[in-house]
Amino acid sequence: MSLIQYGFQKLVLLNSAGYSRAELPLDDSVSIIAPNNTGKTSLINALQFLLILNKQHMEFGAHSFENTRRFYFPDNSAYILLEVLLPSGMAVIGCVGKGLSHDYEYFAYQGSLDLDDYRLDDGKLVTQPQLIGRLFECGKPAKIYPQAELRALLYGNRQKQRSDDPDFTIFPLEFTSQAATYQRILTRTLRLDRLDSKEVKNYLLEIFKNDLQDRRVDFKSEWDKSFADVNYDKSQYDAVFRNQTLIADMEDNQQTRRTLRGKITLWRPVIEQGLYEWEAYYNNTFEQLTQQLKGLVVDIQALENRQKAVYKDQAETDNLLKGQQKIEQHCQELTLRFEFVSDLLQLQNQRQSLQEQRDERVRVIKNAEQQQSPESIKRNLVKVGKEHADLQRQLASLNNNLYLQLQKLLPTDSFELLTRLLAKSVLSLPATENSAVKLDNAVAFQSFAAQLENNLSANRLELPGLSLDLSALEANLTLKTAQELETEISDCKRQLVELQNLLQTVETLAEKKRQQQELERQIEVLDADITDYKELLLMQANGAERLQILAEVLQKLEALKREELTLTDQKSSISQQQDDNKITQKELQSQHQRINNARHQRLDQHPPFTYLEQLPFLPCMEMAKLAMPVLADRIESYNRDCQKLNTLDDNLNRQLMDLHRDGLNKFQTQDSTEQELDALFAYTVNLSQEQAAIERKARSAVVQIAAILRDLRDSLETLKRRMREFNNKINRRQLSDLKVFKIEPREEEALVKAIQTLISTSEQVESGNSFDLFDHNAVLDDKELNHAKDTLIKEGEARGGLRVEHLFRLVFIIAKENQTPAEFEDIDSAASNGTVLMAKLITGLAMLNQMQDPRKTIKTACYLDEAASLDQHNQRNLIEIAAEFGFTLIFASPEPQITARYCVPIGTTNGKNHISRLNWQILEPINNADLKPLP
Amino acid sequence: MTLILTQLTQLQPLFKLLSSGTHLNRFQDTELWVELENQQSHYQDLFAALGFVLVVDGRGFAYFKTDQGSSYTGKLTRRLALLLMLLFEYQADQGLHLFQFQQWRLDTALLEKLWQQYHAILEAEEMNSPQMLTEILDSAARVGFLVFEDQAYRLLTAVHRYLDLFEELAQAERPDQLQVENAEEALF
Repeated sequence: MSLIQYGFQKLVLLNSAGYSRAELPLDDSVSIIAPNNTGKTSLINALQFLLILNKQHMEFGAHSFENTRRFYFPDNSAYILLEVLLPSGMAVIGCVGKGLSHDYEYFAYQGSLDLDDYRLDDGKLVTQPQLIGRLFECGKPAKIYPQAELRALLYGNRQKQRSDDPDFTIFPLEFTSQAATYQRILTRTLRLDRLDSKEVKNYLLEIFKNDLQDRRVDFKSEWDKSFADVNYDKSQYDAVFRNQTLIADMEDNQQTRRTLRGKITLWRPVIEQGLYEWEAYYNNTFEQLTQQLKGLVVDIQALENRQKAVYKDQAETDNLLKGQQKIEQHCQELTLRFEFVSDLLQLQNQRQSLQEQRDERVRVIKNAEQQQSPESIKRNLVKVGKEHADLQRQLASLNNNLYLQLQKLLPTDSFELLTRLLAKSVLSLPATENSAVKLDNAVAFQSFAAQLENNLSANRLELPGLSLDLSALEANLTLKTAQELETEISDCKRQLVELQNLLQTVETLAEKKRQQQELERQIEVLDADITDYKELLLMQANGAERLQILAEVLQKLEALKREELTLTDQKSSISQQQDDNKITQKELQSQHQRINNARHQRLDQHPPFTYLEQLPFLPCMEMAKLAMPVLADRIESYNRDCQKLNTLDDNLNRQLMDLHRDGLNKFQTQDSTEQELDALFAYTVNLSQEQAAIERKARSAVVQIAAILRDLRDSLETLKRRMREFNNKINRRQLSDLKVFKIEPREEEALVKAIQTLISTSEQVESGNSFDLFDHNAVLDDKELNHAKDTLIKEGEARGGLRVEHLFRLVFIIAKENQTPAEFEDIDSAASNGTVLMAKLITGLAMLNQMQDPRKTIKTACYLDEAASLDQHNQRNLIEIAAEFGFTLIFASPEPQITARYCVPIGTTNGKNHISRLNWQILEPINNADLKPLP
Repeated sequence: MTLILTQLTQLQPLFKLLSSGTHLNRFQDTELWVELENQQSHYQDLFAALGFVLVVDGRGFAYFKTDQGSSYTGKLTRRLALLLMLLFEYQADQGLHLFQFQQWRLDTALLEKLWQQYHAILEAEEMNSPQMLTEILDSAARVGFLVFEDQAYRLLTAVHRYLDLFEELAQAERPDQLQVENAEEALF
């Protein structure tokens, strides 16, 4: 130790932490010897007040800071003092209690620590109010420092120091900003058993902070920021794309609207003029029409009168014609009748002869009328005929008749009586074979006649029950001679002829009378014929005249008919004119009504028509000329156009609102709706270019994001490099039986890969190949890219931002001799207690060393409890490693550890601990036995 | 140690997930994982008090360690173990790095190939059709070993448990079937 070793020299506690006095050497390794729970840790922890200063970074285990303060500063004569050898010379840093409040304050001065400076002559300790004066008396001008100021001094923060302050830098850090980290690790090194892998990771991160661009990346907000425009544009694009049909419709509407505006603008003055002139036009026209109608009424009256006359004429002529025709027909009939009559004389001759025949008849009839009537003649005839027939028969049966027979056979009386009884015709019947009277047996008949005789007595015939008187009867038949008979027959014959002639005459008289009547009738007919014929002759004489008359009548009738027809035509024509006139009037009135209505329904007195010319419109190329009769149509169509324009306005506004509601608001910033629509249509037309533009933007957004992620990734790489260096540092010497002891970062694969994906995408984009490599939607629709993004966003949201520390975890890689290295997350479980303790200590020391300015080394101290768990070999090793890192080790154990240079037992007097330098045992290697006297 | 339950904001979802035998995976349940990372000791203490052993593996998964498994989970585990082992073997033969298993896509084509190559072994474990493989993977997905997305399965970090076992076995002298089964029993 020939070289001057800057660093801690000793720690002194006066009236603090249960120690009446404690002096602990810190210039080399120390073994504090005491049973458990006798204040070893309290002693070491006292250093926190001087080295950590900031009470927030101090740690006293389960004790609250309040209790700790009371424990360390029971009154205003409690001191914690540290002597340090600095390049500027020996210096003392102290902390003194302020009394009942258990508060404390810092002071420091240059010079060595002499305990007598703090003791008054009466053996009592100097109290806080007297301290500065006392030290000044002792030639050590001390100064009270506020905590922050002292901290700045100790950690070499020049900026916070005053130039006249002495240099008290105990911890020359490479970056003074790391003071807080350093303090935290330092606090830990005072109690290293609690160091865990999580803390190691945090400390290492803080240590390497200056090498890393360690910013917290709020990935989501970065992404959203970069993609805000893109997403907005995309949303607008999508909205337009979705609504293409609607927009096309709107474009049509807008086109129609402009056309309408042009049309309305053109027609408006014309309509105004037309309305102004209408009243006069209407009155004139109406008057004209009324006059015209009156004239027509008169005309039609005249026509009707004429027509009546014609009808009358026609009826008369018709009658005339019928009469003529009748005559003519009669003439023809006569002509036909007398076709075979040559002249009148013929007829007269005929009549003459007829008359003569009649006169003859009249004479005959007069003769006949003097005779008897034909009926009586006819009776006479029958009577004579009968007589004639009777006579004939008598003549025929004159020789053999019944009478004769009877006369022959019968007595005369009987015969007489019988002839009286039997009829003449019976008696005259011939008695021959095959006739009515047959006489088969004359004897029988004579017997019968005898019997009959009996019954006949004197003119009486007695029959059983009947008696007949025959006296009154005459004999019926007296036999005449043939002569007599023949005379009588010829008389009868002559009488019959006479009677028949007479009958014929009488009968012919009736016939003659009938003939006479017939002749009379014929004469009458002939008389009529003669009259007719005379008429015919007359008619034949004036035939030509008659025909003439007939033709005239017909002609007249024809003329009347024609006139009647023309009259009807004329009448219907005038009536048509009347109707037309009325229609025209009606039409005119209806137009008037319509115009009045339309005039009231005009919309162009209100906005937007009042400033229509200022709105965009398409000039109308129509000829705006107005004819009065079409004014009503015109104004109505004009009103309709206005109405249509209003509807279109409404429609377009509604459609635009629909679009706004659907999220399309890109064009809302335009000054007017018209411009908004124009911009919208222009955008829609160039939709494919817009898509490409969005894609470009998306790519540049990815590039932007990637730049941020690149920082993260680079930081991770730097950290890995630093960790390798750090591993080299802790592996300079073998620890215990550990062949390998490394702390390695393990990347969180998914996150690093996600970052890599985004970066490589951006590289592709930047290299400009992407247009060939990807199709249009590459960046926006890239599945892998989106997955990466989601992963990072999820992670960032869960952790409130992405940091490099989230990209890896630390593992302890440990291998003993003859073992393959194994990874451990928790150092505690990696090996035996002692080994773990060493590993932790070395890690901690290495971390502290890492932060120190390698150019200035000031040896400080660290503490290892339960040192007995390490064997001597390891203890020595540890002491050496600690020395290399600039630390002296303080072992604490119930037994002395002979590897340390000092063995310091803690003594107890009156319940108070004390360590006197007189109790220090200084161990030296035997081969270097010349002990130096104690200072 | 005092537990302040209001600080354990994800207690309910965490317990629900873990007590159902599901594995919590770092990138599937990021929020829960971060909560667990921040309050690990508290959760571990609380669950321990309730009789559950919470294992948090820094590689990105956590689960309740349990000694007993039902016959069903035992069967599932055995089959899944076999399937995964074959998968790892197959992928190793393809020259893929085993530790990057999270990047593999287990699509139908891959399962088809597995089936073709190993169907004899698979059938020995009563996995008789490629369809059966999907069913096993579906079951495994329900307990957080896999996730089905984008028409393919993806192994999750929890599969490290199997991979660790396989490595252990590979280091041992006799990597025979018996040991696999023993190891599986150790898993549950």
